[in-house]
Amino acid sequence: MKYVLLTAAMAAGVATTAPAQEITLGRFFGACEDAGTDTTKTAGEACIIQSIINAADAELDGISITTLPTDWGNYYDQIKAAYAGGTPPDIHVMHRHRVPEFAGLGAIAEISGDLKAAGIDTSDWAPAALDAVSYNGGIYGVPMDFHANLWHVNMDLMAEAGLVEDGKPVLPTSPAELLAQAQQFKDATGQDYLAADFAQFPIGVRVVLALMWQQDANIFTDDGTATINSAAGQSAVTAITQLFDADLANPQLNYADSQQAFLNGEAGILVNGTWVVDFYTAEAAKEEVGLDNYYVADFPTLFATGATWADSHMWAIPASLDGDGRAAALKVLAFINDHNIDWARTGHMAVRTSVIESEAYQRLPHRDEYTGTAAIARDTPPSKRYGAIQDVLNRELQAIWLTGKEVEAALADAEIEVQDLLDR
Amino acid sequence: MASRSKLSQTQAAWLLLAPFLATYTLFLIYPFFRGVWISLYDWNLLAVAFNPDAKEFVGMRNYERVMWGKDITWSVLNAPVLQTLGLIGVVLSIILSRMGRLSRFNAIALGIGSVLLVILPGFHPAEGGRWYDRRFWPTVGNTLVFVGFTVPGVTISALVLAAALNRETRAMSILRTLFFLSQVLSVTVVTLIWQIMFSPRQGLIANITETFGGTPINWLTDQQFAMAAIVIATVWWSLGIAMILFLAGLQDISKDIYEAAALDNAKGARAFWYITLPNLTRTISVVVILQIILHFQVFGQPHLMTRGGPNDTTQVLVRYIYQTGFRDSELGRASAMAVFLFLIMGSFSIIQFVIGREKD
Repeated sequence: MKYVLLTAAMAAGVATTAPAQEITLGRFFGACEDAGTDTTKTAGEACIIQSIINAADAELDGISITTLPTDWGNYYDQIKAAYAGGTPPDIHVMHRHRVPEFAGLGAIAEISGDLKAAGIDTSDWAPAALDAVSYNGGIYGVPMDFHANLWHVNMDLMAEAGLVEDGKPVLPTSPAELLAQAQQFKDATGQDYLAADFAQFPIGVRVVLALMWQQDANIFTDDGTATINSAAGQSAVTAITQLFDADLANPQLNYADSQQAFLNGEAGILVNGTWVVDFYTAEAAKEEVGLDNYYVADFPTLFATGATWADSHMWAIPASLDGDGRAAALKVLAFINDHNIDWARTGHMAVRTSVIESEAYQRLPHRDEYTGTAAIARDTPPSKRYGAIQDVLNRELQAIWLTGKEVEAALADAEIEVQDLLDR
Repeated sequence: MASRSKLSQTQAAWLLLAPFLATYTLFLIYPFFRGVWISLYDWNLLAVAFNPDAKEFVGMRNYERVMWGKDITWSVLNAPVLQTLGLIGVVLSIILSRMGRLSRFNAIALGIGSVLLVILPGFHPAEGGRWYDRRFWPTVGNTLVFVGFTVPGVTISALVLAAALNRETRAMSILRTLFFLSQVLSVTVVTLIWQIMFSPRQGLIANITETFGGTPINWLTDQQFAMAAIVIATVWWSLGIAMILFLAGLQDISKDIYEAAALDNAKGARAFWYITLPNLTRTISVVVILQIILHFQVFGQPHLMTRGGPNDTTQVLVRYIYQTGFRDSELGRASAMAVFLFLIMGSFSIIQFVIGREKD
């Protein structure tokens, strides 16, 4: 018996040539229990990314990947606590807007020298993608997408309201037109013209930001002066509040409820990101879902210049990771980079020129309907206090549409608080 | 073997206490003083982790930045309602203690509380001035409102339930278990259940409202209902422990008293008022004070159900500390707020301690 055991142990030792390099991976996007390893069949952010990770775990020799909990809400708090405690994940996802904070402190690794050896060709990245992961001349991650706010449209309701022309929705080109079309829509269908999460998640902030950028204004300047309480700020806000005042949109719906309203066919337009295009496409195909005829439109230009809120997801590794761990992490980054086309199925825009130009990419559902978005994608100037600034704006805008605070008073308060944050 | 008998009683006591003391010191005393120490520094969570010299001693500035402002003045008419209430409290405490209706301790506690109610709301920024941190005091106020509704809510409903379920039948013991069950759930599960309950589209409450022809309320995103929603979920969640404490207290009351009272025709509500309540005062004050200390630390319910919104109406102290420390990485500032929270809870612990000794 003893010999049998020994032989078995030796056989096992021979089979596993070297101990697998353990890689811990931190991400949000939510959980997907059985994503499998087929990266071409999954749907929705959570399952697509998990299938890519599972495939990397299965296909990369000598690398074993453990995915950490995937909760959205506290993601950055957890990552920061992990860095502060000296135990960050070996590879983690983040947004481009966090680069100044994490790279500025030396938390994430500068990897421009490692990319070529790992098989990542930076010249294939769209210029804006390279820009997204660059900080002070270095490269701090591998970009995965551009994502932006879109207008998701229920074409049946729009047709009922007479707002369809040549198979495309007729969208407003000014705040006055927005109000007129919304009223026309309500009169014809009895439903709300527009829905979005104005109550919790900062979709409302992103709408107001876009409308400020459309007037060539911003919430703060590059040199750190808050400029929120301006004529542009006020007209951006009132473009939205006029809909609430006329009962053409409901500011009290949160993310889940606004989405449900749209899917139930109770709203003509939902303002939400690129990340739900494949989900809504799948929902619209179902018999029992109120939404049948789904269309995706670029965020319309209500003022002078086209603009919509945008950001990028990217993957980074901690500066403290070295040796075999770093090499293994880079292989995983390369694997994710190779599967850019799979991630684009979510509805996100790809970052690699070769993918963007591919036929497979252009054939993705609704892809041809929001081709203008890449050109109008914008974000606030870089700041280490991005999260706190968004929170200030979210609170003050909620105060306007949920608690009736005067627009000017709210914007003035927001300006003072953002200035405080910029000065700290 | 001989050495065992050489330990004196004191030595043995220290030896047995050592594991507790070591753990207590390492995980409570040390972190507490460390927190106080951090609160005196400009301390960025991430920056200090990467470079221990990145902190800067700033003395009391974190406290000033959190609690004070520019051109802060005091006036008696800043918050007339609260300040009048405080004045009434001061007068009451003097009159009642003169009349001997209040114990000295209760009179002092009521007096101090009332004086604070007169003084604290009187501070406000003068023309052109402002609080350095506009959110801190409103957040403290929200926490007080939460505690002010939750503690009576839990205490009264737990007391009523305990009185109703204090019978030795199988049905009652099943009901006791059922009511206690919510207590064992984690905050994530509780908030998930109640988020669904409160949802204006799929929620049970909305469905009931609609059946009766009403328009569903957006509980979690309406300024008037958000805090109420959190209080309701919390009361449902934390009934169990209070109910068990009351049941224990009820079983300590001798049956003879009820029998004697019944002979004098005191049954049901009268017996509850004249016998049960007076015999439970000690348990009630323990429950109330434990609940106060517990609920000042509320975090999960507003964090998960409303994210502190709408417009900060459900932002509470611990969530603000958490955001300041982890989202904004300002550990020094967050620690200063935590020290403030400690002082509040510490004062309630002292009250509990004194009440506990007084009755002995």
